Amino acid sequence: MKKCLRPALLILTLCALVTPCWTRAADKKYTVALIPGLTTDAFYITMHRGAQAAADALGVELIFQGAPEFNPVQQVPVLNAIIGRKPDAILIAPTDKTQLIEPLKKAAAAGIAVITVDTFIGDGHYQTGSGDADFPLSYIASDNILGGQIAARALAKAIDDKGKVYVSNVKPGISTTDQREQGFKEEMKKHSNITVLETQFNDDDANKAASQLQSVYARNPDLAGVFGANLFSAVGAAAGVKQANATGKIKVAAFDAPKSIVDQIKSGEIEMTIAQHPAEIGYYGIMTAYAHLTGQSVPPLIGTGFTVIDKKNADDPAVKKFIYSD
Amino acid sequence: MDTLPVTEVDTDRISWLTWLAAARAWLFLGILFVAFEVWAQLVYRTTFLFNPFNVQSIAVFAVAPLLLALGQTLVIISGGIDLSVGFTMGFAAVVFAHCVNGTLDALGVFGSLLVGIIVALVASIVPGLINGLLIARLKVPPFIGTLGMYGVARGIAFLLAGGTTVPVRNSILAGLGNGSLFGFPIIVLVTIIIVAVMHFVLLQSRYGQHVYAIGGSRQASLRAGINVERNTIVLYVLSAVCAAIGGILYTARFSAGAAQAGEPLLLDSIAAVVIGGASLFGGSGTIIGTVIGALIIAVIQYGLVFVNVEPFWQFVAVGVVIVISVLVDQSQKRLGGGKVDEE
Repeated sequence: MKKCLRPALLILTLCALVTPCWTRAADKKYTVALIPGLTTDAFYITMHRGAQAAADALGVELIFQGAPEFNPVQQVPVLNAIIGRKPDAILIAPTDKTQLIEPLKKAAAAGIAVITVDTFIGDGHYQTGSGDADFPLSYIASDNILGGQIAARALAKAIDDKGKVYVSNVKPGISTTDQREQGFKEEMKKHSNITVLETQFNDDDANKAASQLQSVYARNPDLAGVFGANLFSAVGAAAGVKQANATGKIKVAAFDAPKSIVDQIKSGEIEMTIAQHPAEIGYYGIMTAYAHLTGQSVPPLIGTGFTVIDKKNADDPAVKKFIYSD
Repeated sequence: MDTLPVTEVDTDRISWLTWLAAARAWLFLGILFVAFEVWAQLVYRTTFLFNPFNVQSIAVFAVAPLLLALGQTLVIISGGIDLSVGFTMGFAAVVFAHCVNGTLDALGVFGSLLVGIIVALVASIVPGLINGLLIARLKVPPFIGTLGMYGVARGIAFLLAGGTTVPVRNSILAGLGNGSLFGFPIIVLVTIIIVAVMHFVLLQSRYGQHVYAIGGSRQASLRAGINVERNTIVLYVLSAVCAAIGGILYTARFSAGAAQAGEPLLLDSIAAVVIGGASLFGGSGTIIGTVIGALIIAVIQYGLVFVNVEPFWQFVAVGVVIVISVLVDQSQKRLGGGKVDEE
């Protein structure tokens, strides 16, 4: 027992010596890591741009690292590597509601502030003192249920409040696209002359989304509209409509606003898109982390807005700034 | 259908099985059409097969996986596999989109399109050539060599695209991707021409015979004086070029080049080749078989949406067809005394 006491004491003394320098080091630059759901998506690239703007303004060092695909198996190793670097805070878009809880707990246990952006873990209600996923400080995102509702309202208006519609979606289990679909369907219940058909899942394959549109249309000639819940769902549905010579007859509502979608709105292939404000999410993510690190309190939930972009307003400078870009 | 000489054993059972194996892809396709037709008639009082719109949609749907599967067929006949086709397709799509955009002002709508097509096809030779050299000259197993290229092509495609999709605005291009000629979608016509060329190369040219020979026995091919190395390199280049054509047509159809365009199609392309009667151990397979294989997958996926079945059954259905297809093939070979894929 005595034998291990001496090294233990030594370590303690060392720690005591080191700690003051450590605390002093805190007034130097903070390091914040942003881990997107996937690196190859205009949405997250735009979020990075917003985060960079805030980081530059505050003198924070920003690390942007992520996996090429939206899945936990690829995201967790990136997260672990980042934890290994010990940044002061991590902003992350978790790729699964439950599978990311344990890996993120490790970050919190290592003394890193965890904030989730765009997607959440658990039920998205943090700092409540209940559940095992309430430890992140804040969740900053657009309210995707509201986004789905906005899409439903815009599409209902475009199809004169009658006819059949369906949701073209990626695959079940992704918090954001699930919520868009949920919001869309809830809102459509208020429109009694609109029938919502079964959702079609396309695995993020535009080719499949196009074929699904043609198949649904072949059996439902009175199909009036489609809500493409993400980029390839909408792009695919629009191509299916074009192939079926039904442009203008079947209206496509998209979600998110990369340049290619806006081009298709201008050419009339897509009716409108619900643009999130990813730059805003990135900006407030960094601001929230900084506020926490400098001892301020932060809200557990920050909702960012939406902008509906259609042919009429696509060139308006006030709207143009919401088009995603790097 | 099967090019391996099957020893004739004179019993009814075997000739019946041989016939079944040779025609199984066609049979599957027929059964599927009949099943969906009956289903649509009974449940929805509508036709499935006799609606030209359905047939056209299925053909368009099959184009992208089929183009990947065409090159893949030759590679698989030679006993190899090409895992990089999906991202070679995406890489070509992005290169094509950038070229068309970049040269639009200087060369006009038509010129930029032509330059884009040439540059994308030439660019796709690079991954194909590297695959071929790795496999033929440096003796890297095809699975590993092309897996490496899968990553490299993917990374470079995303780097070129800046991580997002590259929109293309070219009035002719959109017309090519979605327009029709004499009632046939243009991309389907283009694909038919490429199918015809590949079919001719495989069955009528000496090169095609060499591909079968290499897949049958590499040693025997070497002894027979076939230039196995050069033939193998050409195989992977052909595969990459087919994938690039897929990428160009994708860009035309969706008005944007996407690095991930071919990602979900790789396994479909391999499935199409196997359902079409090729053996992953090399030596057998045909282009027509692959075409039928790609159509079978497209009919299943389109048809199940048409009759409104829970979407996840699509995976089950395609999986079952693959397994049955290989089972029929194996039992026929075992009984007929041909080459059995278990060595």
